[in-house]
Amino acid sequence: MDSQLETLFDEAESRYLKSEELQVLNQYVSSLPARIDAYRTLRDRELEIMQWVADQLQVALPNERLENLERSIKNALLVLRYCAMGVLLNDEKFVQDKLQGWVTQAVQVFNTYAIDTALFRLLDQRLASVMSPQQVALLTPQLNQAKAILLQSAEITTPA
Amino acid sequence: MISVADLLTNNRVPGNYFAADTYIRGDLELGILENRRGERLIAIPETMIQGIYSGLEKETGQASLLVLFNCGKWWGKNFYTRFREELTDYYGTALADLPMVDFLQCLQQCWLTYGWGKLELDHSLHNRGFLLIKTWNSPFAALAPQNKVPYCFLEAGVLASFFSQLTGRDLHCVQTTCESMGAEYNQFLIGVAPRMKKAEELVAQQLDHDRIVEALCA
Repeated sequence: MDSQLETLFDEAESRYLKSEELQVLNQYVSSLPARIDAYRTLRDRELEIMQWVADQLQVALPNERLENLERSIKNALLVLRYCAMGVLLNDEKFVQDKLQGWVTQAVQVFNTYAIDTALFRLLDQRLASVMSPQQVALLTPQLNQAKAILLQSAEITTPA
Repeated sequence: MISVADLLTNNRVPGNYFAADTYIRGDLELGILENRRGERLIAIPETMIQGIYSGLEKETGQASLLVLFNCGKWWGKNFYTRFREELTDYYGTALADLPMVDFLQCLQQCWLTYGWGKLELDHSLHNRGFLLIKTWNSPFAALAPQNKVPYCFLEAGVLASFFSQLTGRDLHCVQTTCESMGAEYNQFLIGVAPRMKKAEELVAQQLDHDRIVEALCA
């Protein structure tokens, strides 16, 4: 859970929460239906979204080795699952904890920066057409966090 | 054509198995620490490591370092067995079939989650027949008494035994730099036992890492 929320619950014995603190809780709770909605979309359309990305990726990078493409797609599946959970929890740290030091090394060793950059651009494109703007807004911070970790030492090219 | 559905195994994408927040669980009431498979873990307080060091020193004197190394070998043997079992179950593939990068990342994350610090594998001596491991923030070095030689014999034993089991060869491990002596990180050289004897002598002569490597590769 969002660390700001978590700290609210730590103070139970010393005082009651102030109205602005309850407001934080309120915001989270009222955003929950939309979060669950976004999560459900990602869950139900995972294969369809990623298959589209995979097909486009193969067209965009016809000379790339299949196993490298598959590896990147697998990573992206994992990233999207973590991001979906991050949306539900409203916790960017969740994605960070899961990915930090994990997929980064594979990206370096297999030198898949180019693939991953293209892949995430396609993913953004697909998500924008499959999800509502509100859902995309919930997912974007999570996804950006994941991209930053994944492509740490590479330049992240964001589509204009 | 890539089929995304085929990339999933049992609808799963194996991820960071050893991620600390999912790997370590516990039940405070029962006073139990467990891993994600429900196997018991043990937490070792700093005082215990210090106690082991000073107790061994008192009881066995000079031999204490050898004792630590041999304890490490036992530890490493069981560590390897468990590591292999867990990864085989999780990835649904034999350890030998796991891509090197994935294997290494698992080992690094595992090392980190167990509280042993950061670990890196250096391939630069690969062609010379040695494996070089670097570790940072080792609790075994942090609590070591001031010494003229590297002190992480426990870890050296763990690494020797782990890589011996992994490769099916009798490997030995010698530490060449140690955080307890002010080094930035610990370095462990791993190689076949006869060649490592010489390394041991060179460390005892207090040669620095580069000169030890130079002498070994000469």
